[in-house]
Amino acid sequence: MRGKTPSPPRRTDLRGLELALVALPVAALPHVWHQPPWITALVVLAIVARAWLLGTGRPAPSLGVMSVLAVIAGGLTFAQFGTVFGQEAGTALLLVMIAFKLLETRNRRDIVIALFLGYFVVVTTYFFDQSILIAAYSLLATWLLTAALIQVHAGRVIPRPRLARQAGAMLLHALPFMLILFFVFPRVEGPLWGDPQREQTARTGLSGELNPGDIANLLQDESTALRVEFDGQVPPLRAQYWRALVMTDFDGRRWSADENRSVIQPAASDADNVIRYTATLEPTRARYLPMLDYPSALPEDAELRANYQVLRDRPVTSRIQYSAGAALTTPPGAGEPTLDPQERTRALHLPPSAAPRSRAEVALWRATHGDDDRAIIQEALQRFSAEPYRYTLQPPRLEDDSTDTFLFETQAGYCEHYASAFAVLMRAADIPTRVVTGYQGGAWQERGEYLRLRNADAHAWNEVWLDGEGWTRVDPTAAIAPERIEQGLPGLASDTGEEMPGFLRRGEGLSWLQRARFGMDDWGDFVRFRWESWVLAFDPERQRELFARLGLDSQDWRSVLIALGAGFGSLALIALAWVWLRRPRQRRSPADRMLQRLSRRIARHDRGLARQPHETVDAWSRRVILARPDLGESLMAFAKAYNRQRFAPLTPEQRRDDLRHLRTLLHAVPRGKPPAPKPDPVHA
Amino acid sequence: MRPHSVTGRAGSRSRTARLRDDAIRWITRRHAHDGDQARLGRDRIYILPTRAGYTLLGIILVMLLGSINYSNNMAFLLTFLLVGIGHNAMWYTHRNLLGLQISTLPVPPVFAGQPLTLPLRLAETAGRAREALILRIGARATAPFPVPAQGTHTAQLELPVLARGVYRLPRQRLDTRYPLGILEAWSWLTLAPEIVVYPTPIDPGHTAGGDGEDAAGAHDRREGDAPDQIRPYRTGDPPGRIIWKAFARSGKLHVREFASGQGDRLWLEWKAMPASDTETRLSMLCHQVLAAHAEGRVFGLRLPDQALEPAQGVIHRDHCLQALARFRSKPVELNPEAGR
Repeated sequence: MRGKTPSPPRRTDLRGLELALVALPVAALPHVWHQPPWITALVVLAIVARAWLLGTGRPAPSLGVMSVLAVIAGGLTFAQFGTVFGQEAGTALLLVMIAFKLLETRNRRDIVIALFLGYFVVVTTYFFDQSILIAAYSLLATWLLTAALIQVHAGRVIPRPRLARQAGAMLLHALPFMLILFFVFPRVEGPLWGDPQREQTARTGLSGELNPGDIANLLQDESTALRVEFDGQVPPLRAQYWRALVMTDFDGRRWSADENRSVIQPAASDADNVIRYTATLEPTRARYLPMLDYPSALPEDAELRANYQVLRDRPVTSRIQYSAGAALTTPPGAGEPTLDPQERTRALHLPPSAAPRSRAEVALWRATHGDDDRAIIQEALQRFSAEPYRYTLQPPRLEDDSTDTFLFETQAGYCEHYASAFAVLMRAADIPTRVVTGYQGGAWQERGEYLRLRNADAHAWNEVWLDGEGWTRVDPTAAIAPERIEQGLPGLASDTGEEMPGFLRRGEGLSWLQRARFGMDDWGDFVRFRWESWVLAFDPERQRELFARLGLDSQDWRSVLIALGAGFGSLALIALAWVWLRRPRQRRSPADRMLQRLSRRIARHDRGLARQPHETVDAWSRRVILARPDLGESLMAFAKAYNRQRFAPLTPEQRRDDLRHLRTLLHAVPRGKPPAPKPDPVHA
Repeated sequence: MRPHSVTGRAGSRSRTARLRDDAIRWITRRHAHDGDQARLGRDRIYILPTRAGYTLLGIILVMLLGSINYSNNMAFLLTFLLVGIGHNAMWYTHRNLLGLQISTLPVPPVFAGQPLTLPLRLAETAGRAREALILRIGARATAPFPVPAQGTHTAQLELPVLARGVYRLPRQRLDTRYPLGILEAWSWLTLAPEIVVYPTPIDPGHTAGGDGEDAAGAHDRREGDAPDQIRPYRTGDPPGRIIWKAFARSGKLHVREFASGQGDRLWLEWKAMPASDTETRLSMLCHQVLAAHAEGRVFGLRLPDQALEPAQGVIHRDHCLQALARFRSKPVELNPEAGR
């Protein structure tokens, strides 16, 4: 009674396991770099063991063995991470679970579950890496997993090339769905729970305080901070100051930003002067948005504060894109005769004991120049350019009063030292001054035409209040290294022989090898940027913009339904058209097509005269002639030509000529009604 | 009362099973009588997710939640890619059945107690190779089989061991989960090949304790046939009469011939069977028919309600066996669960 055994022999059940044993390790491979080695070892061991069991035809380990193994693995995971939840521990547990699932595979269901979990493993890869390489790699892994899934359900061994094609086709056909859903599926601002970014991304970017040494760390960080595409006119590099944080409060050593200023409207500026751009910002976990000086148009979810600092309504926890505008020539407060007294007090504050030597020096300047604030500023800048101030990322430690020590003793430092010291000098001279941090310079990417600002391009400068002109930007660092503001130069680096920020090492004097590396970097950054700005930066904000461009509202469910319907509707139409175009058709010969037309033409007046499928042309024409003797000659000729065309051995030329003849004969048959019945010679 | 009687069936099955059965009958009413051929059009292919399908759906939902929580666009992409794959699986699975032509083949008759195999021919005309199709009747299923593009496959479904009689095939189901196993597409078929089960041959000799042929042949016994005459083989002689033992010895073909052509007529009589119940009698007659045919005899069969005139040959034998199988028997629906 063979029919009684419900399950086929076990050997058939495990078809597809071989492929699963390939696909799953491929899916898990990127985790090797992010998991403790024992996880990798365990997974490899389990897979090798399963492959060995499969190869030798041995059964899977018993349930008892598996439970013991599972408990041990769970314990190890807990011991390693202190939890079994969260990204790393969760992924580790997932990997171990899959390995064990494979090891204990008894039937098809086990393989299917393992493969489904394999898709999950691919997704967890993105916790650690979202590069385009990983995207391509996960496509490969998904392809293999799908192929394994197909093999599991095929019921027989499918030849590998066919399997590969089938799985590839499934992936390919799924891509349109993926794209439509990606853009149209309603996005909400994450996270739904917890604070995923805390575990996810290390913080980069500027901090809300300026401590000596802060920016130095950043200046050695070559990773991208911000990429900018300009809409139309691109301002010269020297004019590009990307302000992020504005610091007014000084305690003698540390500058700090204030996020609680009142919200103001950007000054109106005429549209011709506004530079429009779209920036892609890497996550900073802070609220500031770097804006090109001076902000005149803001993204919707950000606001301008009284100190002209632009803050987003929530921290930037993932890569975002925003569009904004800048008026290069209209500094904040321009045209206002005086500074608000409260603000003035804040911008003049110096701890009483701070920088006595500096104050004394400034008092001399005041005595010389009287009320001329501009002259005082020039005096300070001249001091930086005339005296042997050095630009170095490894300045000597500043003892005692940091400002005095820097100005009179070490005279070596980088932007934040200069900005801080300059601000102290100005405040000592009763000129309201603040420190601004942000980015300056950057590298223009010819390929892709965008500006790339690295963390190494972080910069600090000052703004001084001049009655009538508003907050005017002064960059004291430019006084010592003016070339830097134009573009990076290697000269300065060789002068000091010290480690310089990356942008100073660019340009001339590079070996061809270095050039090649930079060239490759350009390409790499270009691809990365496109990937990041087109794919990774898509968020609820971008979706809103996309919908708005289509005249829809992404917050309105009806709009979402319309967009989904339109997307899938057009997809369905394309699929239908494709199926219709590829429908199996019987290719009729031209002669047959003409025969069909003739039959239709004659049957128009008498349906019974249509040629039946079983009728030969001769039989049919004889039948028609009985009813329509008027067609006699033309039909006979047509039948003869048709038979010749179909059955006689003809050269291509003859065939063509005959076909033309056939067409003439076809058209010779009148379309009109049959003539009034004449005495019928046959039936008479 | 036949042992496989189906009269108690309705009572033993649960209410839900009956409701389900009615529902399926209502759904399939448009093609309730496929006869000997059916083409699977879009109007008769059904598709629903399987348990694995719901599992994958769950995994996709978790992935979607994760994507939202981590605002991870690559996770969104993969999640939506899987949604697309899952969605298209619907199409693929459906197409795996679409356009198939299923036709009945003659079911080789068996004797009661022998395993019965139902052959169905599946023809592919759309130019797409089909994979992993399963033919089912009730809980009986074939192993998954493929049908090559523009080709055919004959599916063999094991049916239960049946008692003598004539059977109708209950509703058949052709289904597939290819390619991903997350969806099952199926179609109900109501093909109606005739299934005939001959009686189990029982040697009446054993039952009667005497020479079977004596018992069987009542009056028209083959009077002139003893002793048999041996003559050389002539073209056209039934192979059953060849004396194979002699052939093995001498290498020449000889046949056994009974003395008189007319007197050779053997009547197999219902009444003469040494048993009281119908089935045993039929079984004995069956044995006699087979024996007579094997010997190449000219024989007739007389049943209470009909008589088959004496003749010989395979066709005649089959006529007789059919008559035995159909004796006082109306076609009943085959119970696939029988013998379980």
